[in-house]
Amino acid sequence: MKWFLIFVLISTIMLIAYALSNQYRDRLDFYTNLTEFLRRFKLNISFKQDKVEQFLNDTKPRKHFKQFILSYKNYLTTGKLDLNAISVLSDEEKNELNEVIKNMGRYDANNEIKQTEQFIAEMDIKRKKAEEDKNKLCPLIIKLSLLFAIGLSIILV
Amino acid sequence: MLKQYLDSEIYSAIIKAFSFNDINEIRLRVNENVIVVIKNKKFYLKDENNNFVKATQQNIDNFILRASGHSIYAFNDSITQGYITLPKGIRVGLTGKVVINDNKIVTIKEYQSINIRIPHFVKNCSLLAYDFLVDSSGVKNTLIISPPGAGKTTFIRDLIYQLYQHNISKNILVADERNEIASAVNGAPQLPMGGFCDIYTNCSKEFAFKCGIRSMSPDVIVTDELDLNNDLNKIIEAINCGVNVVATIHAKDINGLKHKAGFEEVIKNKYFQRFVVLSSDEGPGTLNNIYNENLECIYCR
Repeated sequence: MKWFLIFVLISTIMLIAYALSNQYRDRLDFYTNLTEFLRRFKLNISFKQDKVEQFLNDTKPRKHFKQFILSYKNYLTTGKLDLNAISVLSDEEKNELNEVIKNMGRYDANNEIKQTEQFIAEMDIKRKKAEEDKNKLCPLIIKLSLLFAIGLSIILV
Repeated sequence: MLKQYLDSEIYSAIIKAFSFNDINEIRLRVNENVIVVIKNKKFYLKDENNNFVKATQQNIDNFILRASGHSIYAFNDSITQGYITLPKGIRVGLTGKVVINDNKIVTIKEYQSINIRIPHFVKNCSLLAYDFLVDSSGVKNTLIISPPGAGKTTFIRDLIYQLYQHNISKNILVADERNEIASAVNGAPQLPMGGFCDIYTNCSKEFAFKCGIRSMSPDVIVTDELDLNNDLNKIIEAINCGVNVVATIHAKDINGLKHKAGFEEVIKNKYFQRFVVLSSDEGPGTLNNIYNENLECIYCR
């Protein structure tokens, strides 16, 4: 019974650790999707020149990026932009994204491409940072949680 | 109709004061009063407190951004020509800072004004002139003459429709240089044009006449805003190929036209058999006179 309870304790702590570290995976996923989205947007302006709405409809988002697309579509319809539902981003990052969205589609093709390249460069820096964080912090959280779980188990035993 | 494009304070002031069906134009100029044009009469837009509504730079930017579906890059070709076409044939003329690179207009930015022109399909407005312009052999080479805003485009649009209604089974090629005649959006004309039309939009007359005659074998070519100096050779070529031409030209009346370069040659060689003079005397599209190739008046109001 005692060993079973220890097993449950360790499993629970590891599960919490996984959930905590998952935030970093989601952030990386979001920024990977965003840079990919911007790259496709740039390509689209260069050749097909779909309207933004059509381009958004053709984008197949997942996870948190889905919320980004929904917010963008809502902005096109109502003029109101609300990115609060994207929980993996800080307020500062949401403000930056706010500016990105509000400036997209405002220029002729050449300037739009230049601007999009700038957005891609900025978002790629964030993606790399998110990747670093994920590679560094996810294993750290898991390891620390495992140590904590084992320590707690020893004390309880 | 314009709710999704205009800022709410302007839109609500317009719908409180006017009926959209009556409006011909809405003009927004930065820091100036908004003007609504109904049957050539100008009205200053007022809000509920009876103050004049002034347009701001933001109002104009917002309109153009919404009109382009937040995709200016997708509309830049028509923006560089000074207009955007909206669904239902609404045409938005725009002015601002013209950006030029290598002698080519790159774009227009820092918009100064917009002129929202709401088209009205005036059914049967060409009917009075119809019998003078069409006979059993087909459509006569016709030049429609009027000052700006007097209904030339509305007239030729209805004439095209009347040919269809009268079952004059002719292939009509519309060389719609500025997308004014058909106001096509995604290839579909936004106003009734009948079933005999092939339409080139946003292309030069040179392209439309040359490629159109070669590839679409038209019986009639309809085009807007002729420049006798530059376009006459295309007209002659079309007529020599056996294609009839219906075109419009800016002039106050037939005397105004006589002063234009190239007109002498037109009369001398009788390129056009009919000259239709329109005015705004009794509203846009008022038929004033019809002249024959010898400039004899065959219809007078």
